[in-house]
Amino acid sequence: DEIGLIPCPEARYNRSPIVLVENKLGVESWCVKFLLPYVHNKLLLYRQRKQWLNKDELIDITCTLLLLNPDFTTAWNVRKELILSGTLNPLKDLHLGKLALTKFPKSPETWIHRRWVLQQLIQENSLPSLVTKGNLGPAPVERIHRLVQEEMNVCSEAAGRYPSNYNAWSHRIWVLQHLGKLTVKVLLDELSSTKYWVSMHVSDHSGFHYRQFLLKSLIGRTVTDNNVLVQNQMVNEQNPSLQKEEESAGAEAACAEEQSVDLPRRIEEELELCTELIDTYPGHETLWCHSDETLNNSHHSPATSHMAQAMDVDGLNESSSKQSYTQETKRLKRARMQDSLGPEMEYRFIDKILSTCRDADQARFATAYRKWLVTFLGQ
Amino acid sequence: RSAYCAASVASLTNILTPALFAGTAEWIARCQNWEGGIGGVPGMEAHGGYTFCGVAALVILKQEHLLNLRSLLHWVTRRQMRFEGGFQGRCNKLVDGCYSFWQAGLLTLLHRTLYATGDRALSMTHWMFDQLALQEYILLCCQCPAGGLLDKPGKSRDFYHTCYCLSGLAIAQHFGSGELHHEVILGVPENRLQATHPVYNIGPEKVARAVLHFLQQPVPSPEPTA
Repeated sequence: DEIGLIPCPEARYNRSPIVLVENKLGVESWCVKFLLPYVHNKLLLYRQRKQWLNKDELIDITCTLLLLNPDFTTAWNVRKELILSGTLNPLKDLHLGKLALTKFPKSPETWIHRRWVLQQLIQENSLPSLVTKGNLGPAPVERIHRLVQEEMNVCSEAAGRYPSNYNAWSHRIWVLQHLGKLTVKVLLDELSSTKYWVSMHVSDHSGFHYRQFLLKSLIGRTVTDNNVLVQNQMVNEQNPSLQKEEESAGAEAACAEEQSVDLPRRIEEELELCTELIDTYPGHETLWCHSDETLNNSHHSPATSHMAQAMDVDGLNESSSKQSYTQETKRLKRARMQDSLGPEMEYRFIDKILSTCRDADQARFATAYRKWLVTFLGQ
Repeated sequence: RSAYCAASVASLTNILTPALFAGTAEWIARCQNWEGGIGGVPGMEAHGGYTFCGVAALVILKQEHLLNLRSLLHWVTRRQMRFEGGFQGRCNKLVDGCYSFWQAGLLTLLHRTLYATGDRALSMTHWMFDQLALQEYILLCCQCPAGGLLDKPGKSRDFYHTCYCLSGLAIAQHFGSGELHHEVILGVPENRLQATHPVYNIGPEKVARAVLHFLQQPVPSPEPTA
């Protein structure tokens, strides 16, 4: 379940450099300068059609290469060909990638190949000829759910191995978008399962950015659901005979089993998390940044806003409204009636920090945040 | 990143057509996120490298107005480290010499764009970052005694960091061009580098020569030859 290099500049004994202990694979460093050029060369000769390699040899060689250097695109591409020809089980590549990531948690090519493999796997699921009885395993939905969970684990581990691991967190977002379909359930599950992780990595901007992505997706999702429900209601009022059709169409977005999201509560919880972490760990810019933006979200949450306009689920406004973003903010602020998040609470929190903190960075962030509160809340 | 490479190549070689980049500018704009910076694809974290590429591509496509320039400016100016003087690539990360170009270069692009929109509050002598502090970081912290430049002290040299530290140094030393050109050189005059073109990061005269050269060539037809 893990690979690593054992610093060992010279072969002391006449034995294999491969060490396997407790399911961890180690390679003594002295052998790399022999092994890597050897396998690399073999693969190149194959690619140049100068030396044939059969399927098993190809699988072995690419596997070795990728565990030594997973950014070797050609090796991943050879495996793509093997997968497409049906010789290699795509799940093997998920495992190989996972292993490579234990040593190379950022490896761009590994993440890229992983997405290709996952796309192959979902396509398989959507083939009408796929039969899900008997020995072909669980139903596609269950299978996809498992794939998603596994990807969340792989991302989490890679994120833990390298601070602010952009590629790992980007992959995580991609999986939710393309495999998880950004359902409310998966978004809420992820919010809850990453809460502990980000609390243990308070400088990890990527981790907190992920939570922003989740929150904004929830906001977008709720707006879409509300829009669909409103549309359904309108249609039903006009045409009772069409009711059944519309209901099933709307089921995708607002089906009975999908929880209704208590958005204000989620956002409040997020702010509480920020407050707690800012208090406990002074001086981390990411926490302040996250806090700012979470407060921002509360003013765009449709549950507290009259405006039911659909927003991009990836949290970006349409380009045409880019310049009017500030205007929008001001309008929403004035339009909103109930604000359960109490700006007074924020001021009290800030003033407490300013009067008790001894960390220069924390004081600076708190001062900036206070200025921003004044401007933003206009109070 | 890919959009910038494509726009860069197409514009220099005179094969840029609206059809080639239909929808590209809008897609890049979608990569700008709540932080103000730009990520690799829509939804991703704002990142110095991608932000530079996105903005430079939009400059080439003349569509910078699709971005929220104010939040972008807000984001990038906060990326200069108050102690080190160099730039970080993302919030709460460490300084890295290569961002001397990606972030500082980005600020020069923004400067021009904002000036073109009629903003007269802009300085006519200095960029919107501390040019001397950046030069200090590069010269004092990013040089390898054996030659070449690097990310930060303790890291080893490589061509990528050598390229972008030097590019960043050039950006920090030269404000504007032509009549508005204003130099700020830290240390001895020998430290002075030639100016670099903020969009293509090659010499401005080279950009001019390349454009001229390709303008004189026949434009290849999109149909495959027989």
